[in-house]
Amino acid sequence: MPEKEFSIYLSGVGGQGLVLLSNIIGSACAAAGIRAITGEQHGLSQRSGSINVHLRIGPEVISPLIPVGGADAILSLDSLEALRYVEYLRPGGVVLMNDRIQHPTIETAAHTKDKVAKYMSVEDVKERLTKVTDKIAVIDAMKLAAEAGTSLTENVVMLGALSTLEAFPVPEDALKRSIEENVPKKAVEVNLKAFDLGKKAAHDLLCNIVKCR
Amino acid sequence: MGAADVVREGAGKAFLLCNEAIVRGALEADVKVVSAYPGSPTTEILDTFSEVSPKFDFKMEISANEKVALETCGGASMVGLRTMTSMKSVGMNVASDSFFSLSYTGVKGGMVVVMADDPHAHSSQTEQDGRSFGPNAYVPMLEPSNPTEAKRMVKAAYALSEKYGVPVLMRTTTRVSHQSGIVDLEPLDRKPFQKLPWTHPPGRFVTVAEAARTFKHALLERTKRIQEEFEASDLNTVTDTGSDFGIITSGAGYNYAAEACRILGIKPSILKLGTTYPLPNKLIAGFIKKLKTVIIVEELQPYLELHVTAIAKDANPSVRIYGKWTGHFSEALEYNPNIVADGIAKVLGTRPPVDYGAVLAKAAELKAGLMERPPTFCPGCPHRATLHALQEATRGTKHILATDIGCYSMSFLKPLEYGDSLLSMGACMGVAAGLQYAAQEKVIAMVGDSTFWHATMPGLVNAIHHNDDLTLIILDNEVTAMTGQQPDPGRDYNAGGQPAKPLVLEKVIEAMGISDITIVDPYQVKAAVVPIKQALSRKGPNVIISRRACALYADRNKRKRGETIGTNKVEKEVCKRPYTCIRGFYCPAISVDDDDRKAFITKELCDRCDVCAKLCPFGSIRPRQEGG
Repeated sequence: MPEKEFSIYLSGVGGQGLVLLSNIIGSACAAAGIRAITGEQHGLSQRSGSINVHLRIGPEVISPLIPVGGADAILSLDSLEALRYVEYLRPGGVVLMNDRIQHPTIETAAHTKDKVAKYMSVEDVKERLTKVTDKIAVIDAMKLAAEAGTSLTENVVMLGALSTLEAFPVPEDALKRSIEENVPKKAVEVNLKAFDLGKKAAHDLLCNIVKCR
Repeated sequence: MGAADVVREGAGKAFLLCNEAIVRGALEADVKVVSAYPGSPTTEILDTFSEVSPKFDFKMEISANEKVALETCGGASMVGLRTMTSMKSVGMNVASDSFFSLSYTGVKGGMVVVMADDPHAHSSQTEQDGRSFGPNAYVPMLEPSNPTEAKRMVKAAYALSEKYGVPVLMRTTTRVSHQSGIVDLEPLDRKPFQKLPWTHPPGRFVTVAEAARTFKHALLERTKRIQEEFEASDLNTVTDTGSDFGIITSGAGYNYAAEACRILGIKPSILKLGTTYPLPNKLIAGFIKKLKTVIIVEELQPYLELHVTAIAKDANPSVRIYGKWTGHFSEALEYNPNIVADGIAKVLGTRPPVDYGAVLAKAAELKAGLMERPPTFCPGCPHRATLHALQEATRGTKHILATDIGCYSMSFLKPLEYGDSLLSMGACMGVAAGLQYAAQEKVIAMVGDSTFWHATMPGLVNAIHHNDDLTLIILDNEVTAMTGQQPDPGRDYNAGGQPAKPLVLEKVIEAMGISDITIVDPYQVKAAVVPIKQALSRKGPNVIISRRACALYADRNKRKRGETIGTNKVEKEVCKRPYTCIRGFYCPAISVDDDDRKAFITKELCDRCDVCAKLCPFGSIRPRQEGG
């Protein structure tokens, strides 16, 4: 099977399980014989700050960092963090973002002075992103994660949605096996449920705008 | 992924972080003693060793600092065991005194020192280029570009170390250390741990005066032989495309250069250097001989550029060398594929297919009004409370705050913007000593428990001995929090959960000669103010200990014990919008409701430290009931 290249920019807020998400995908690639590399963030940047992981799949990718304008997709666990890295998205690339925003403390502090200011909303972000792509899916991962059994599975809900993309070259069964191997034993079931709920949501929210499997 | 693959007995493929691949390489090479102090971007080496240590019989410790860690490996390698230590760039500054000496004395068992630089200063105080440690100490230096190479180089480093009786430095950078990739595991073939007899004559590892001079001649000879070996080493690779344009690079620079060539659709010859000290001069000379143009791609200092330029003087004086000195690349910040593509394109007089500047400009436009999200104190962080109490206690008192390295370093960021100096681990004490000599204001030094044990004690000894008028406030959160809550000498356990003797801060300080010690609980944020104020008003040197476990660490322990972590909520009808819980506080769990402008606590983020509840003048923050 000739491998296709796929670069995905994962973003979120420290504590949302982004590194676990990239590990699940990477391990699935290792098991499926697909080449994958990542550029990750650990350390100081994790403390409730903005975080990102560059994930690249393909036989020839060498740089762990995606070039500006080179990401086929942005997957974000917080809408603001999708916008924050918009320069990485290639024109017409896919944005999969969580219908959720943890308001930055700096923005909150500004709100105590300006009595009419509104937080930047998911709709605001979507509106801005439409200037670079028309392929944007907003998924209420928190709700689906809770439905699966725990709000901690937001990351896997988003992975389920990502897995429906035709261009995403990692087979679903490899992803599911990787979930089984990489999450704590007692959490396997809820995570697999979260994956399926994300997949189902994508059929309604993503597959009408992007080619799905 | 992770530890499960690192401990896998047999061969196979695994998706590993470079730091995990380094551990796997060391285990495959039968490492027997490991000691390190955590520091990003090397921390996962220590963490992985620590996690897998119960499954193996290697000895391991989380040392008090990098110097002790390096010396511990040095001692074990003198006996004949294989050892590994890892440290961040600036950790090497701490360890370097003994690092230089170990190059003179040499070692018997293989010793590998992993040092990771941090271009862009992601989590460091400077952008130091540690490559100078190789040549300065005459220690051979290897540089991998990815996890696969890192694992291979660790094994090569042990062989090299034992063949020449010298420690080997493996230098990485953040984007190499924190890169994951698919790594081929080789079988683990480990021999049982065994203490060895000391076989050396007296004075074997003593270096001073005549002994040092003898060692120096020997190490120059050794370096020559290693250089000869490196000339033919397969750790260096030449991709000869026949082009008269070539690139010389190493480490992370190679990754970006290779990607940039793909982007630009060009096929230059590439010399990728894996042995960056001693440099294979003949290999470099042979490579540039055939070229008209050579571009040097390396982050930070023009280390390769300097040497290539010198080699070109004889090898090919007409070759045009492009790099930092020609202004095509910067000595500041880290590189990425587009920066390198732009630099190469500029040399070649072409343009990349994507106008990166235009993409970035458009992105900046779309991001107008998007607020920054810098790292901040976690919900429940005791530092937020300590700093609040400290600021209350010093209200109206002119003072200077010499702070230090740890999570509390973030006090200089918004909203507090509090702290006047921060240099290096433990520096708060020495700086404070100077401040109290020179400044009219009250002087406060601030440090965490782990940094206190690491490098602050000599400064405190000094301050006590010289009767300096200053107050040291120690933020004791029980662990090395910033790097992931590793145990420090205050804990009753160490790497892998092995039992350890806990040191008690106040007892140690009292024994050093300070009886004026005030202990407060930062979660009692209001009650802590007066004792802090009183301590600060007394003549120093005296000490305040603000003691409360790191919230992430405490939560992890609570979960282990099966305890639930409660959350608070704002009683809307009570909230009068004083914003006490927001201004100067910046808890990520607290925001403002867009509609009624009242404070709002996000259930998933709140840690129920109750500090905001104690500060609210209207008492509107209360425990959230089930389902609330």
